Amino acid sequence: MSSTTHELPERPASLAAVMGEQNVDEKGISLWAGAWRRLQRDPAAIIGGIIVLLFISVALAAPLLAPHQPSSVEWAGEVTPSSLPPASADHPLGLDPFGSDLLTQLLYGARQSLIIGVVSTLIGLSGGLVLGGVAGAFGGWVDTLMMRIVDILLSIPALLLAVSVAAIVGRRPEALMIAIAAAQVPIFARLLRGSMLKQRNQDYVLASFSLGLRRRTIVMSHVLPNSISPVIVQATLTLATAIIEVAALSYLGLGAPDPTVAEWGRMLVKGQERLASAPHLTLLPGICIAVTALGFTLLGESLREALDPKSRRR
Amino acid sequence: MSENLLEVTGLKVHFPIRKGIVFDRTVGHVKAVDGISLGVSTGQTLGVVGESGCGKSTLGRAILRLEEPTSGTVKFNGQDITSLPAEKMRRLRRRMQMVFQDPLSSLDPRQSIESLLIEPLTVHGLAESDLEKIGRDSPANHRRKALNMLELVGLPASAMAKYPHEFSGGQRQRVGIARAMICSPDLVIADEPVSALDVSVQAQVINLLEDLQAELGVTYVVIAHDLAVVRHISDRIAVMYLGQVVEEAGSDELYEKPYHPYTVALMSAIPVPDPVVEDSRERILLEGDLPSPADPPSGCRFHTRCPWAREKCSQEDPELREIEPGRRVACHFAEEVAQKIADDREVENERLAHGAEAPQTASNG
Amino acid sequence: MTDTTDKTPDTGQKNIAVKDAGQKAVADPQPLLDVKNLSVTFSKRKGESFTAVDGVDFDVRPGEVVGIVGESGSGKSVTSMAVMGLLPRRGVTIEGEARFDGTDLLTMPKQELTRLRGGDLAMVFQDPMSSLNPVVTIGKQMTEVLHAHRTISAKDARDEAIDLLRRCGIPDPARRFGEYPHQLSGGMRQRALIAIALACQPRLLICDEPTTALDVTIQAQVLELLTELVRDMGTAMIMITHDLGVVAGLCDHVNVMYAGRIVEYAPREALFASPRHRYTHGLIDSIPRLDQRRDQRLTPIPGTPADTVPWSRACAFAPRCRHVTDACVTDAIPLEEVGFEHRARCVNPASDAENSTQTSQVMASGQMAQEESE
Repeated sequence: MSSTTHELPERPASLAAVMGEQNVDEKGISLWAGAWRRLQRDPAAIIGGIIVLLFISVALAAPLLAPHQPSSVEWAGEVTPSSLPPASADHPLGLDPFGSDLLTQLLYGARQSLIIGVVSTLIGLSGGLVLGGVAGAFGGWVDTLMMRIVDILLSIPALLLAVSVAAIVGRRPEALMIAIAAAQVPIFARLLRGSMLKQRNQDYVLASFSLGLRRRTIVMSHVLPNSISPVIVQATLTLATAIIEVAALSYLGLGAPDPTVAEWGRMLVKGQERLASAPHLTLLPGICIAVTALGFTLLGESLREALDPKSRRR
Repeated sequence: MSENLLEVTGLKVHFPIRKGIVFDRTVGHVKAVDGISLGVSTGQTLGVVGESGCGKSTLGRAILRLEEPTSGTVKFNGQDITSLPAEKMRRLRRRMQMVFQDPLSSLDPRQSIESLLIEPLTVHGLAESDLEKIGRDSPANHRRKALNMLELVGLPASAMAKYPHEFSGGQRQRVGIARAMICSPDLVIADEPVSALDVSVQAQVINLLEDLQAELGVTYVVIAHDLAVVRHISDRIAVMYLGQVVEEAGSDELYEKPYHPYTVALMSAIPVPDPVVEDSRERILLEGDLPSPADPPSGCRFHTRCPWAREKCSQEDPELREIEPGRRVACHFAEEVAQKIADDREVENERLAHGAEAPQTASNG
Repeated sequence: MTDTTDKTPDTGQKNIAVKDAGQKAVADPQPLLDVKNLSVTFSKRKGESFTAVDGVDFDVRPGEVVGIVGESGSGKSVTSMAVMGLLPRRGVTIEGEARFDGTDLLTMPKQELTRLRGGDLAMVFQDPMSSLNPVVTIGKQMTEVLHAHRTISAKDARDEAIDLLRRCGIPDPARRFGEYPHQLSGGMRQRALIAIALACQPRLLICDEPTTALDVTIQAQVLELLTELVRDMGTAMIMITHDLGVVAGLCDHVNVMYAGRIVEYAPREALFASPRHRYTHGLIDSIPRLDQRRDQRLTPIPGTPADTVPWSRACAFAPRCRHVTDACVTDAIPLEEVGFEHRARCVNPASDAENSTQTSQVMASGQMAQEESE
């Protein structure tokens, strides 16, 4: 029989001209690069990204942006039980009931939320990665043991844990972090374990094994990297809940003992008494919490979509 | 047959069926592979054909010890690999490779083609023959070997930087083949290498496998459900039913004169893209479905569906006996079945005034 | 009259004496289903659109079995889904017409179409598990269809359903009647699905890859069943498949689709004995055959289905075609008459000489059919 080549037949010039318009991508697109491309085209991701960026930069640059010191209560004299002084050039959003500058409080509040949120999520993530990773990598009785630990963690109500931790270590931001992180560990552990078990049953793992790769190499450089993307998505989403939880727990009075440390949750408490006369005192920190959480959620959801294997096809 | 590269003897793979909530209790076994003996000599291709659930994939994996055999031995180059320590087995894997059915799921989606191809080389180093041609092990030389391999499987050099999801099914399978071949293995087990591909692309991959065999002298075990594909590519064929080999013969002999009723039925069930053949041939329709491999029928496993089954079949398990030199069949009445089929064919051929010359018999035996 | 629905200009072939394939055409001049210029376009976000089916014409006469053959992405399944009104409304544009017994299915009110589906029109899908309701017994699913289309007592419906199951080769039908889909094996499920489809004695049965998920021995059983049922009930059938072997044994006429268009239409004998379109020709050549000599090397079609050009610019198969010329680069390659009831959309069709040198020894016997069609 005539031709044995796998190559396409030679094309006449006219056909080549028609074909030529199809752009040929010479450089490969890795999955992450593809996900990044899709993220850039997704309006939800852009909005979420802007909110998150804004939040982070405000948190970082709070000392530069804020007109005053957060702990300053020097205008307490201007505040009366029945009224607050109106906004002025010096205080664009006015004062809070304790005589601090509201804008400054809001800006520094971002900082507090970011630190506690990020640190607690990082702790939760690392705890979850270790438990889930070990369970997923070894399987068998190790898996069973790890999952029972997770079950125990899961059976403790987060609020109760927060109160107990606060009782032990005292009312410090660390208590908040540990309490929030402890609630997150099971989420990450289960997610990573499930994802790794799924990946372990994929043909490519069998292929790697049949190629003679070491088990350690297969787990570390194939199974784990392929299992991590849902965890990253979850971490982004968890940041949103963490920020809300920080606010909730400090609203309950479990935050830093120093009342002058600006924190959105505590601002809600402070504004609560004057809800009728000065609703902006609760509204503004409330909006800040909601918008920040929304930003992380939007980003997380778009990330999930961008990394989804179903949308990977081109 | 001492010169066989691969010699499988009495291989069994039984999977326990577990039940229970707190404590796992083994309530039975799925006998996926139940006593298989086969041999493949160097440079030859053995086809393993059977329907889904017959254990052919498990057989392929058990040969490579991707599935631990329950009992029996697998000898590779005279060495029993079933008892080999893990590390020795791992090193031996460079010489025995696998091509998978679904090239998308068998390639790590995060790896570029370059990284996929170089990975086996980093583990095992270049094959001895390549050490002379390409030079010592180094990242640059590994890359060169990968490029050579890409060319050999008919992919452009620009494919190196790309990722599996950017290719079509046929191209991905070429990558899978290149990856399996890059360490110059002696044995390659291909599990349904074309069944996931588009019809128009299957022939390309079949030809590629044949070309590579001619070029590299590699020995194949090709596992597939499609007898036409298997017959085309194999020198010898083993037909599997419910975990056992029911017939083994040279490809041409098997087609010429099938002995086992299941082989006969399988061949008559395969649609041929030719209306003349389709209209004229007598279909031997099997009744019912494949019985469960957890609870195989007594006696001959095929007797529940066999159109020629007699009382003896449900009582005695037929042995896989040598009926002709180089032909083995597990049927009590193989001779009668073959005679009946041959008679039918003759009648049919006369009716068609076919005048076709008989296909040549294969040279091996 | 033989070609009541053919849009291409007839070339005096009409009056040629009709032999086997045309018999039904003479008996029933009126097509049961007449699809004209059917196009299906999927629009994605950002204005991109993809034409899956591009101006497809075909017809099915009563009692006829028509094959639609193509690879994945050729538009064969989309064609049937469009005819059955099973495509989602959003993001899909369907043009053209599909007349079933004179009324256009595409513009028909939804209720009327629903009444027709399962009654006169029935469909069998590839995956029987996903097309059967997993929480409803087989029997209930069958009697539901009967009740929906006919006034029938519960007992009669039950009796009829059990009888139908028996006729579809399901052993112990009375017991199976009360079982759930998951209790049946793959082959049994497909039989049950066929039984449901045939419950109201449809006039047209559309089978979309009905045997692809099944093993060959089970496939043979199901194909045999379909052939018998169609013959006994006089049902017309559209068989959609990628397997030329299935088509060869079953269909009266075959449409070959490539990239959304029909590239060849022929009686099955003519299609296999003298394929005209280069794609059909290449496809028949590239498939390993059980009865082929083993040393005969396969001649593959180069490239992949993804190597294509829009029909609006050239023949979509041109990039993979070994016989491509400048003439192939045009926006209008018609589906031309190349023999009796045989049409091909090819500028440079395969000649008889090429077909006879390409055919294997066994195919030589196909020459008779080829001569007939000339």
